[in-house]
Amino acid sequence: MADLVAGRVFAQERRPIRHVDLTLLVVTAALVVIGLFAIYSATSQTLRQDGLDPLSRVNKQVATAVLGFIVLLVMMTFDYRFLKVYAGFIYGITLFLLLVLQIPGVSGGEGATSNYIDIPGVSLLQISPSEFAKVGLIIILSAMLSELRTPVPMLSDVVRVLMVAGLTMGLVFLNVEIGTTIVLMAITVGILVVAGTRAKHLIALAAGAIILIVLAFQLGAIKDYQVARLTAFFDSGNAAEDARYNLEQSEIAVGSGGMFGRGYLHGTQTNLDYVPEQHTDFIFTVIGEEFGFFGSVFVLGLFAALLWRAIRIAYLSKDSFGTYLATGVASMFAIQMFVNVGMVIGIMPITGIPLPFLSYGGTAMLVNFVAVGILLNVHMRRFK
Amino acid sequence: MERSSSRLKVFAILVAIMFAALSTRLWFLQVLATEVYAQEAQNNSVRTAKTDALRGEIWTSDQYAKEEAGSSSATPLVTNRKSLEVRVNKQELIESGRAERVLLRLSEMLDIPVEEINDKLADKQYFDYQPKPIAEFVDEEVRFYIEEHADQFPGVDVVDASVRAYPMGTTAAHTLGWVGQIDADQVEEDAYRNYGNSDLVGKTGVELTYEKWLRGRKGVQRYVVNSDGETIRNLGEVDPTPGDNLVLTLDSNVQKSAEVALQEGMERARTIFDDDPDFNKYFEANAGAVVVLDAKTGGVVAMASNPSYDPRWFVRGLKPQEYRYLFKSPRAPALDRAFQQDYIPGSTFKPFTALAAVKEGVADLGSYYGCPAEYVHPGDASETTFHNWSTVDLAARPLNELLKISCDTSFYAWGSEFYNRYVQNQFGENNEPLQRDLRQWGFQHPTGLDLPGEVEGLIPDAAWGNAPEQKGTEQEPGILPFGWVPGGDILLMIGSGYATVTPLQLAQAYATLANEGKICQPHVVDRIVDDTGETVKKVSGHCGERTVPYTQDQLDYILDALTNVPKLGGTAYSAFQGFPLEQYPIAGKTGTAFRGYPFQDTSWFAGVVPANDPQYVVVAMVEQAGFGSDVAAPIVRKVIEGIYGIESGAPAVVTAGQD
Repeated sequence: MADLVAGRVFAQERRPIRHVDLTLLVVTAALVVIGLFAIYSATSQTLRQDGLDPLSRVNKQVATAVLGFIVLLVMMTFDYRFLKVYAGFIYGITLFLLLVLQIPGVSGGEGATSNYIDIPGVSLLQISPSEFAKVGLIIILSAMLSELRTPVPMLSDVVRVLMVAGLTMGLVFLNVEIGTTIVLMAITVGILVVAGTRAKHLIALAAGAIILIVLAFQLGAIKDYQVARLTAFFDSGNAAEDARYNLEQSEIAVGSGGMFGRGYLHGTQTNLDYVPEQHTDFIFTVIGEEFGFFGSVFVLGLFAALLWRAIRIAYLSKDSFGTYLATGVASMFAIQMFVNVGMVIGIMPITGIPLPFLSYGGTAMLVNFVAVGILLNVHMRRFK
Repeated sequence: MERSSSRLKVFAILVAIMFAALSTRLWFLQVLATEVYAQEAQNNSVRTAKTDALRGEIWTSDQYAKEEAGSSSATPLVTNRKSLEVRVNKQELIESGRAERVLLRLSEMLDIPVEEINDKLADKQYFDYQPKPIAEFVDEEVRFYIEEHADQFPGVDVVDASVRAYPMGTTAAHTLGWVGQIDADQVEEDAYRNYGNSDLVGKTGVELTYEKWLRGRKGVQRYVVNSDGETIRNLGEVDPTPGDNLVLTLDSNVQKSAEVALQEGMERARTIFDDDPDFNKYFEANAGAVVVLDAKTGGVVAMASNPSYDPRWFVRGLKPQEYRYLFKSPRAPALDRAFQQDYIPGSTFKPFTALAAVKEGVADLGSYYGCPAEYVHPGDASETTFHNWSTVDLAARPLNELLKISCDTSFYAWGSEFYNRYVQNQFGENNEPLQRDLRQWGFQHPTGLDLPGEVEGLIPDAAWGNAPEQKGTEQEPGILPFGWVPGGDILLMIGSGYATVTPLQLAQAYATLANEGKICQPHVVDRIVDDTGETVKKVSGHCGERTVPYTQDQLDYILDALTNVPKLGGTAYSAFQGFPLEQYPIAGKTGTAFRGYPFQDTSWFAGVVPANDPQYVVVAMVEQAGFGSDVAAPIVRKVIEGIYGIESGAPAVVTAGQD
């Protein structure tokens, strides 16, 4: 608080571009680099055996990271309040992209956890609209809640927020992406909480969510394999082979890492391709197996640092829009990290949520860079 | 803003809790429980493959001695041969849904009718998920074709198998036994816990008794695989340890001559006419056995059983007619009649009953005893008559003479005495010394031979005679409706009635007689050697650990008496005419065991040679062949001639009709 006052005094002398949150940048870069090493470990041996270039995945990830950094820089160039102005438009585009996915024939995809739009002719670029929906939702909700007449959101406000969020979640859910739906839910809740929503509204929201989930199960809206993954988690004795296998293999890999890990490139489970999806959703198993407890906690620590900076930025933001933006981003990172790592180490059911900056992937990585860009943006402009 | 900041604090706390949860779980996985997971990781990626060990060979003593001496013509009884086998996993085949087509293809390729393949697959001995062999010794081309077109042959494998080979053909078939794939229920047993589903095990004979030695130890190869099962790295291997070899106590030459003598003797018997009014036909001579024991060690020098079979049948898988012959035919060729079947011994029993009579004071070595044509038990109201072999009364004579001519009635009298003693002491202990003394020679006990399936025979006594099985009921009387009667002991004295022994037991008893009363345990294996030639186990007969309680004088007396049997005046004279008894004195006894209609008499002869310093005991037994002197004695002569390399001077078919 005192810091804030002092900051204002020197505001004029500080040009935005000098106020980059270096810690945040360094942490992000560290996560990306660790991710590159992890992906190499997870993919090189198998690729080599199949006669392919062992660096192919790493290279692709590097390309994405470079592109991401560029996007990040772009995100810092304009004042974030422009986002507020164009919030509706941005939101509309995300909805549009989500709807396009519903057109038969447009969506191609690998794995059940992501749905891509293949841009014809540009094979390297597979856009995943639901990833954009995360940022889109953060922007629109932050915009909505920062324009309130009352200091605290009224019921009508909450309902409006829920409708917007619900629409997005519904579309995402139609694409059978439970993971992303969860992230969207977390974003919504995070922003609502920080926006000061009354406790009773929050409780009502929680109750409503539970009812919805139960309904979803009852109506069979949730696909078999997803049910299988959940039951594999909750009832290990009686579960589908695949789901059980995923869980077991990643636990074995992580557990066998011990205190200090088996050493880089010495993880037998991941090197021998025993962990399914080991370069995407299950990338943390590489960390666990090869770098052990110390390595795992270190990476968690990096995420903790990332979230600390984000929360700090939310606090330091000069307006509520910025706060909510930062909160939304923090929620997004927090839930993704928690669910992903939790899934890998066996305390959460398997959902298709990648680990930010480490998991191999295109759109998700880009979106994460956008999110960090937003954070940096809010941080840089906190004085004006 | 204030509200935001406090809410942000809440948010921050939630995030902190998340991290705490994750860290705790990581601590559990990677620190507390890490060994468990490390082990699982190990199990995941390391695979173990086992390689079969070469099964041990089986040799006779003489051939093995040649082998050790470096002779190139040394021949084992059993060795190994490589065979390319086609095996089918029935479960996999059926699951593929293309079973019929695959079987047709296989049938064409292997030139085996589909029904035969189906029969082999239907064999209930093995589970459906055990690969079952359907063809052996197939060509390499078959293997190439099947491996190249693996998708056309689901569940079919071509495997390098090691099978048994028998360089000496059918020699000693029963003693050797055969090997086969382990049974479905055997695999579950604890004794077989290191056995795989398609491992070979010994099923009978020494292959079974010494399975543990012959099997060797499988080799292990460990390597690292990835989740596709591809081999990444070899972790090292342990070579298989070949099984140990067996050196049998058998002598290949004596064994062969015993088998030949038995076969020829039985064929000869079938040319002899049985003029007993009950039969009036040629002798059936359907089965027989010869046992040759080393008198000093108890080692089995030769053991033959007829009818026999060819162990090579098992190597290619039994054909249906072979299977039927072996296991369904009334001839029962798989039965080893030397010790798996018991027979009424007849007069060959007399040396032992005589000794018992002497020991128990019922008879003595000097007195003269009458030999009438008929005998009735004193005080027998029914006046049941027991006959001698002679229809005229013969002069009284001492025990040794009685043995020489095999007088029955003198023995009957001693039997009566034994029976009376029992009656006088019915509720006392040890009231049947005859039976007890007989059992001391090993009768009604398994000899302990190292082959499976030995039977123990029977020495009937009062307890047995009075048992409900023997007495029966009023409506259905048994064989002894009045329980134990004098006839029991009377007939026991001449080895008739209900007593049964195996040829092996009889041989053991004669060997004890020859070996100063020291009992040896018969055994077919002399020693076990490993593949470097080192002896790893020596099998002993434990001679002398048990003895029979007779003085050397008594034993000598009997042995001496028996040397007269093959001589003029003895019951085996005709069979040993022309045999050099001066050089090779034989102490022997004929036996003609009455079984009663519809079975013709069993022909027996037991001989100890040389009688002055016994080396061998030879016992021959032929079912339904009539007099001991006619069939069994000539067989024993031939065997002894074979042992000592004596030129045969045996006369042609002789029917002196001497018991």
